[in-house]
Amino acid sequence: MGHITEPETEVEVESESLVEEVSIDGMCGVY
Amino acid sequence: MTDVTVSSALRLHPRVSIRPEPFGALLYHFGTRQLSFLKSPRLLAVVEAVGDAESVGDALATAGVRDEEFPIYLRALGTLRESEMLVERAA
Repeated sequence: MGHITEPETEVEVESESLVEEVSIDGMCGVY
Repeated sequence: MTDVTVSSALRLHPRVSIRPEPFGALLYHFGTRQLSFLKSPRLLAVVEAVGDAESVGDALATAGVRDEEFPIYLRALGTLRESEMLVERAA
C-alpha cells in the first residue's frame, strides 16, 4: 500500500524590512 | 527604534501625503522632506486603517495581516513612527 502524504503547508514570513526611507535633501538641482 | 505594539494608537501625520504604487506606496512628509517606500500593498492598507482603528492590532487585523506576520509589520510601523510619518494618537 502506498503512503498517503499530506501536502506540506509552508508559512512564509518575509524577513526583510517593509519600509525604506530616503531623505530628498541634497537632491536639489536634480529637477 | 520607537516601539509600536498591538495596543498602540497611531495616525498619519497631517503633513504626510500617500501615493499608492504597484509595489505598495510612497509616503512624503512635507515637514521633514522625507520619503518612505512602503514595499507592500498590505502595509499601505494598515497605514490607511490605523487612524480609524482602535489600536494597531485592530488595523493589522482589518488589513488581513496574519498573526505570524505581526512582528515584521510592527517593526515597519515603528520605522514610520520614528520618522514621524505616523504619530501617537490619544487612544
